[in-house]
Amino acid sequence: MSDKTVSQSPNLSRRALLKAGLATGVAAGAVGAARADGDPLITEIQDWNRYLGEGVQSRPYGTPSEFESHVVRRDVEWLTASTESSVNFTPLHELDGIITPNGLCFERHHGGIAEINPADHRLMINGLVDTPLVFTMEDLKRFPRENRVYFLECAANSGMEWRGSQLNGCQYTHGMIHSVMYTGVPLKLILEEAGIKTNAKWVMPEGADASAMTRSIPMEKALDDCLVAFKMNGEALRPEQGYPLRLVVPGWEGNMWIKWLRRIEVGDEPWHQREETSKYTDLLESGKARRFTWVMDAKSVVTNPSPQAPVTHGKGPLVISGVAWSGNGRITRVDVSIDGGRNWKTARLDGPSLPKAMHRFYLDIDWDGSDLLLQSRAMDENGYFQPTKNELRAARGENSIYHNNGIQTWHVKADGTVENVEVS
Amino acid sequence: MSKFLKALSLGFSLAALPVFTGAALAGDPDKGAKVFKKCAACHAVGENAKNKVGPQLNEVFGRTAGALEGYKYSKAMIKAGEEGLVWDDATMTTYLEKPKAMIKGTKMAFAGLRKQEDLENVIAYLATFSSAAPSAEDAQSAAEPETPEAEVETAAADATTPAPAPVSAPVSATREGGALGLGRVATEDEVAAWDIDIRPDGEGLPAGSGTVADGEGLYSDNCAVCHGDFGEGVGRWPVLAGGQDTLTEERPEKTIGSYWPYLSTVYDYVRRAMPYGNARSMSDDDIYAITAYLLYLNDIVEDEDFELSNENFAEIHLPNEDNFIADDRSEETHYTDKNEPCMSNCKDSPVEITMRSRILDVTPGSVDDDNAAGMGGVD
Repeated sequence: MSDKTVSQSPNLSRRALLKAGLATGVAAGAVGAARADGDPLITEIQDWNRYLGEGVQSRPYGTPSEFESHVVRRDVEWLTASTESSVNFTPLHELDGIITPNGLCFERHHGGIAEINPADHRLMINGLVDTPLVFTMEDLKRFPRENRVYFLECAANSGMEWRGSQLNGCQYTHGMIHSVMYTGVPLKLILEEAGIKTNAKWVMPEGADASAMTRSIPMEKALDDCLVAFKMNGEALRPEQGYPLRLVVPGWEGNMWIKWLRRIEVGDEPWHQREETSKYTDLLESGKARRFTWVMDAKSVVTNPSPQAPVTHGKGPLVISGVAWSGNGRITRVDVSIDGGRNWKTARLDGPSLPKAMHRFYLDIDWDGSDLLLQSRAMDENGYFQPTKNELRAARGENSIYHNNGIQTWHVKADGTVENVEVS
Repeated sequence: MSKFLKALSLGFSLAALPVFTGAALAGDPDKGAKVFKKCAACHAVGENAKNKVGPQLNEVFGRTAGALEGYKYSKAMIKAGEEGLVWDDATMTTYLEKPKAMIKGTKMAFAGLRKQEDLENVIAYLATFSSAAPSAEDAQSAAEPETPEAEVETAAADATTPAPAPVSAPVSATREGGALGLGRVATEDEVAAWDIDIRPDGEGLPAGSGTVADGEGLYSDNCAVCHGDFGEGVGRWPVLAGGQDTLTEERPEKTIGSYWPYLSTVYDYVRRAMPYGNARSMSDDDIYAITAYLLYLNDIVEDEDFELSNENFAEIHLPNEDNFIADDRSEETHYTDKNEPCMSNCKDSPVEITMRSRILDVTPGSVDDDNAAGMGGVD
């Protein structure tokens, strides 16, 4: 297959491209290699070099190149009974840096996407407050606001891997996460506007969607760093991310980041709502279950290479890339192993290092073409190290569903393909 | 004419006559799109519509009942089709008015559309996905394209609630009080409309009551299609009953009876979010009755005459309440061990692969994906 064929075949499936790339990489050497008569992409004049392209305003809201059409959120149909209460996954293996583009942020809904005209949206504060209040979106935009980058990880991210490696791709094993810059009002300012009574210990945000999602949050967290956000990455929240208003609960499980936020009740006890009793509680081997397990502990994953992003260029220079994050602050170090955890090298963190935000790491190696067992291990600013999956299983059993932050292993084979495995 | 069709035609003379007398479909497909939201949890229409809990409804008009390939109908629906039932505006109207009255034994749990205009509108909407018009004289109406207004409307714009204040006259006025004086005071009615949450101590419970016996019928009509007649769950929909003493087993069954700590959560959740796709549609008494029935399905009450009310609610405790503990992750060894982790020769021998995902490859797009039912879940 020639290079030209690849570049002109946007409709080829990702899998077909991968196979093609692999075949080229192994059989014909590196893509773009010179031929006796020269690469036709260089020696022949290409259409895009001769003819005018589309003018300005041909894409009033810009969209990715047609050659990137495989870079999309994907779901796993067998996971859930209906798409309205389901989840899809961020294509981590296609992304770089520390920011997730808005259209690729994974979705988790419990009653579908509520479509709300911001003029029809209200935020109510009630309960143990001096004055129960109602705000319009206009009102909220008159409060002082902040910009903060935070990751949002679903508590069930990697939840399908408790009993062993199951899904082949970091999009599926680790893709219930995104990292975005939010613009919003500190929740503290909004609560203080209503006046918090002295016996108030908890708040309960509520969504306006068909699940009327609710969670109990301790007042200490509400007054610390929670935001009532209306923008993500500079533009309005996407409908599937809670437009026009969502709660941001930095470092804590995604289910608490109530979307389509319409009400915050203040109380003296938690409410024990469905999503903090029946769900989002962690069943242990003993039959006991932990509740209110809010913090997302330090975690990392190698995103490239990974099962959906095999090595196509053969041996030689290889960029091992990945992401790390901690709900307890900054990531201070990521170690990478290429032999299944026997020996480790400290990777290079690159890009901004912000608390409770995604971090990017790289390890640049000279691959000899032999099998690799790739792992990454994150450490946060509190000295907490990401555990192995077996350490977690020993402590909790295999039925916790949530909070699986164990070390992931990818088996990179000599032909460049990659598989999700578990190791001794 | 079969017995079934005779019975059906009797039904028409009472229920569907107004539709027949109209020359064209009276319904408005745009309004019907909104009515269809009640159906959308179970039925898909439009491009790539697939069978869900119910069959997809593209080309439903002109289709023989119970005959769509790939959907598992009730025996009753298949029989109705075999006896000659074909969907047109008349048969559909009768069915949607009271599904169980027309097809006794239908799987469709939906109780029916009471308002004639809702019926007409939803049928007009469905007609936009069928090339065969519901009936001959309606061809023109059914062929009309959807207008842009068909876009999803917000719940706030529902006809039964007051229209929101126009943007030019915001309801909020600057008020005295907080540091910024932003927002306005919430009225008692507004707080009452949204503050429907209930705590384990019973705070928030509305006055009312319902019995196990009342709950059985309500459950059968509103819940059983997804959760099963006995709370056993259909497909991957949540299991609500049973599972006692399974929490330490390899495959625990987490139900209201086996896992949930508080009954208040059942009432609160059913009231705020159920039935799925038609939230806030049941009365407070109905929810007491359904909650009572769920207690019965879980053997927590055994008397069919048992009546649950705001008076006795807080006295009832679920069996697993004491098995919930605080987050003590920080006591696990890998948290307490603050030593620098090993960097070299950390394992005695070369590492072995102990498990591969391809053994059970349930990844979307993989060879075995089609009949996959993987382990674990997200919820």
